[in-house]
Amino acid sequence: MITTWHCTKKFFTLIPVLLLMFCICCSPKPDSGEDAQVTSKGSFEVTAQLMEIPEPFPDIPLYDYAFVLKYKVLTKHRGDLDSEIIYIGHYNPLKARNKVADVRSGDIGGNLKKFKAGDIHRMALEVNIDDFFMGGIINKYFEQETGPIYWAVWTNRVIQ
Amino acid sequence: MGKFLIIILILLIISGIVFYIFSNSGPALTTHPGASQLKVTAADDDVQKLTSEIEKKGWIVYCARSDNETWDLFASRPDGSNTRNITNTPDYEEAGPMFSRDNQQLLFRRLKKGTTINHDLWGFEGQLMIASADGSNAKPIGADKEYAWASWSPDGKSILCLTRKDIQIIDLSTMEIKRTIPRNGIYQQLFWSPNGKWFTGTGNISGKQWCVVRMDAESGQINPIITFQSCTPDWGPDSNHIIFSSRPANQSASNSYGWSQLYLADGEGKQIDLIYGEDGSHIYGGTLAPDSAYALFTKCAADGGGAEQSGAPMCIMRMSDSPAITGESPYLQEHYPNAKNAPILTLSNGWEPIWTYAEVFSEK
Repeated sequence: MITTWHCTKKFFTLIPVLLLMFCICCSPKPDSGEDAQVTSKGSFEVTAQLMEIPEPFPDIPLYDYAFVLKYKVLTKHRGDLDSEIIYIGHYNPLKARNKVADVRSGDIGGNLKKFKAGDIHRMALEVNIDDFFMGGIINKYFEQETGPIYWAVWTNRVIQ
Repeated sequence: MGKFLIIILILLIISGIVFYIFSNSGPALTTHPGASQLKVTAADDDVQKLTSEIEKKGWIVYCARSDNETWDLFASRPDGSNTRNITNTPDYEEAGPMFSRDNQQLLFRRLKKGTTINHDLWGFEGQLMIASADGSNAKPIGADKEYAWASWSPDGKSILCLTRKDIQIIDLSTMEIKRTIPRNGIYQQLFWSPNGKWFTGTGNISGKQWCVVRMDAESGQINPIITFQSCTPDWGPDSNHIIFSSRPANQSASNSYGWSQLYLADGEGKQIDLIYGEDGSHIYGGTLAPDSAYALFTKCAADGGGAEQSGAPMCIMRMSDSPAITGESPYLQEHYPNAKNAPILTLSNGWEPIWTYAEVFSEK
């Protein structure tokens, strides 16, 4: 005779399995960030990890700016970068990349919605930022040795 | 008794009509084709003296919304009289007028009808136009979005403009690039000094944005004027001073990030003096009269100077009355304890006004 206790025990045994299945079903599929834009735009293409956001992005919608962020390069896809740590200026980083382009930025974009320290991005880049972007640049790394500042042309999220 | 009351009543009505007519017939209240009727709003004696002092001192030109709701260019006497629409183009938006130094030509940008004029992006947008000083014979120069932030060379034969890579000097007779100079971080609002030796602009310095800088026109070397939250620089007629707007940090302001005031600096950036500030208003579009005796500017409750809406009241004050502060403005009062409550002539709504003493228009 199957007792209530046995049923309850079986149910509790199943919970971790169900949770695991739930997590597998709900977790996003791995995505290398590759698409037609990121592989063709700009002179450089990397997959890199955003190391930090040195201070909150200014939230003043009236003013446009590029914000320089520090990345650790994980994979070099195109172009000759000689440093593992690179600095990249992103335009109006509080906006989703697919809505950020305007007359000042020119043709930029991507599928990244939000910048978060530790996330991995696949990016098409240009260098130097001053040759490709004419606007305000906030660079909290200015007094450090940064090498050239890259300009983010296309920024896609990478899911591992 | 009844007849006496009727006579009193008739006299009251007549005096009311007479008062109405005369109160609307002063020199500064004129008919204006559009929403921006010009009038003096502070009618005390000092303002009237200022009004009389400037009423025949040349002309101001500015952009404002017209009857057709597009932005047109308007001209008036500095007291607001003799207003006229000098472009009158219902199919376009027009903005950013600038006289050549010899007052023979007028440069501005023409945008597609319905384009919102963005206070920071307008120099990138639309088509560059060059007209006679009175706005006639307007001709497009280049394509849409070409010659960004174009401004006059001292001799009026070339224009200075910005590209993503550099500053370019374009010969207007051939439209060929005469010279390129690295822009060294300057990204908007670029102007050439009347003596030809310097440029000023808004740029990046040492990792900071919104700095006002001076650039040596020969060497391209930059010296900062101010490195915090500043913009819209313009040259004083002496080529030694730059007028600009700035929003100092840590203001005890009634909004979230402070108010922008109007300042004057020397070309080295060593001496910076307040011209005018007023809590509750952002002061932009500052320019000096051709003899440096007056400042012309706009004041707007909304940041950006009102370009996205219908502009903001234009104002004129004497430079000899600076520094001047209106209202309580505790931050400014603390930093400029000797500031005056100067007479300010308030005109109609406009944006990016300019001033010439040349008689480029005839009286109506």
